[in-house]
Amino acid sequence: MDYECKVLSNTCLKGEYFRIVFSAPGIAAKAKAGQFVHVRIPTLRDRILRRPFSINDTDPEKGLLTVTYKKVGRGTAELAGLPPGAVCSVMGPQGKGYTLPDKETFPILVAGGYGSAATFLLAKHAPRKGVLLLGARSGEDLILAEEYERVGFPVKIATNDGSVGHKGFVTELLEEALAEAKGKKAFVYGCGPEGMLFALGKLCLAENVKAELSLDRNMCCGTGACFACVVKVKDESAPEKWRYSRSCKEGPVYGAEELYYG
Amino acid sequence: MADLTTKLGPLTLKNPVMTASGTFGYGAEYEEYFPIRKLGAVVVKGIAPWVSNGNPMPRVAEVTSGMLNAIGLQGPGVEKFLHDGHYLPFLRKAGAVTIVNIWGKKIEDYCEVAERLTAEKEGIAALEINISCPNVKEGGIAFGTDPVMLKKVVSAVRKSTTLPLITKLSPNVTKIADFALAAQDAGSDIISLINTIPGMSIDIETFRPRIANVTGGLSGPAIKPIAVRMVYEAAKAVSIPVIGMGGISSAEDAIEFFLAGASAIAVGTAIFSNPAAPVEILAGIDRWLDGHRIGSLSEIVGQVKIQEKK
Repeated sequence: MDYECKVLSNTCLKGEYFRIVFSAPGIAAKAKAGQFVHVRIPTLRDRILRRPFSINDTDPEKGLLTVTYKKVGRGTAELAGLPPGAVCSVMGPQGKGYTLPDKETFPILVAGGYGSAATFLLAKHAPRKGVLLLGARSGEDLILAEEYERVGFPVKIATNDGSVGHKGFVTELLEEALAEAKGKKAFVYGCGPEGMLFALGKLCLAENVKAELSLDRNMCCGTGACFACVVKVKDESAPEKWRYSRSCKEGPVYGAEELYYG
Repeated sequence: MADLTTKLGPLTLKNPVMTASGTFGYGAEYEEYFPIRKLGAVVVKGIAPWVSNGNPMPRVAEVTSGMLNAIGLQGPGVEKFLHDGHYLPFLRKAGAVTIVNIWGKKIEDYCEVAERLTAEKEGIAALEINISCPNVKEGGIAFGTDPVMLKKVVSAVRKSTTLPLITKLSPNVTKIADFALAAQDAGSDIISLINTIPGMSIDIETFRPRIANVTGGLSGPAIKPIAVRMVYEAAKAVSIPVIGMGGISSAEDAIEFFLAGASAIAVGTAIFSNPAAPVEILAGIDRWLDGHRIGSLSEIVGQVKIQEKK
């Protein structure tokens, strides 16, 4: 559905990272981890398309929807300028989210950069607390770690420049985490850049661990109509072949076994 | 309430608002935003005889007041369209007036799709021949930019179906009137225009085109004046009805097309920013007519006042 939503707050977390809270009772009531909202930014007059954002957090009782975003282009720069009281058209919740973990599942969340926004609701609602492996280019790009700790998820950090935590890729932390989780019913949930997600997917397939990955694509309609945001997935009728799947509709979350890595 | 009944040759619609092929999926994608049976017609994304993967990614780029796309006609193929619950069976159940856009690589492909659809035509109001897609090498635009080829494909499809036939014209020609006439001569009941206009956009940091196909079709408000001009020129040339489209995002935009000579209009790219755009435009047309004390939409079709040159 499409709702007119009032901006309640819109603040800078740090650097280029921002958090906007909408009054959006219809979306907050239904949203699941991994789904997204498709936002029309009212001040973008000569740019006609909406912008998709992961749902970071919701408060169904108060009707709140939180989106955490990075200023990366004109759309997000305009979004960052919206004052409280501004009204946006917000479509959502869109797409297929993550499979929620059950009581036995030990969730291993793996996030690259602001991918940590998309996996937060999993941590908040997981019946059994797991761990967040958070990767970023450098310490300046680490966000939301404290919030995960607040909901009972310890955070292990990897940065490419080694400024915080392990120097290297977050996938290296995953190998360790999988070894530690031996004997537990581990389930890996990923969100981040495509290269990281593909490495994650392949590793989990090799280790025979279930994994779901949220792919980030530029989108156009956000409803499955235009076929602009497609992702290569294995063709069910012939597994060595691929077909294009609409990430806004069949995704953005895919099982590691569904994706085509060729 | 003005009379919005729209007569397009053999096809009568309850109102003049349709969706432009490729921008509304197969209807099901939008049923949660408004009842799609409210539209004059739903024009579905192009159907070929085969399953089609379309073009590589990236497929769209946003530009000033518009967008480029090179989706490449990804689609389920005619058999799946006819029988899978997501496609035609859904449209029938939703009570939508459905127009099926068809394409192929050879003339026989167009005929094959037309025959299959005609054989199971329950719920199908008309066929729209796509000879104007700029993003597939074979078929598509090759037929749309040569009046001789256009006549051949339209005549052949005409023999393959008893359904009302719409020919969707390409704007990428010098004299649109010739193509409109060719479609009429070949037996098309209706013409629709315009399809997208080829364009290009380059990322100045990577030096790469912003679309994998290098070029893509430009749509959105940026192309509206071109579309109005071409609808005007085409409508003047033919006696069959015209469906106008190209950058329509408000009722006022739609009225311009009616004045230029369109009997019906299609909303396309505007749907991406506002899924309810087609029904909002429909309500706006009604309000505009009431506000101008015009009892019937047909009264304004082609009524642009042109001062004669002395």
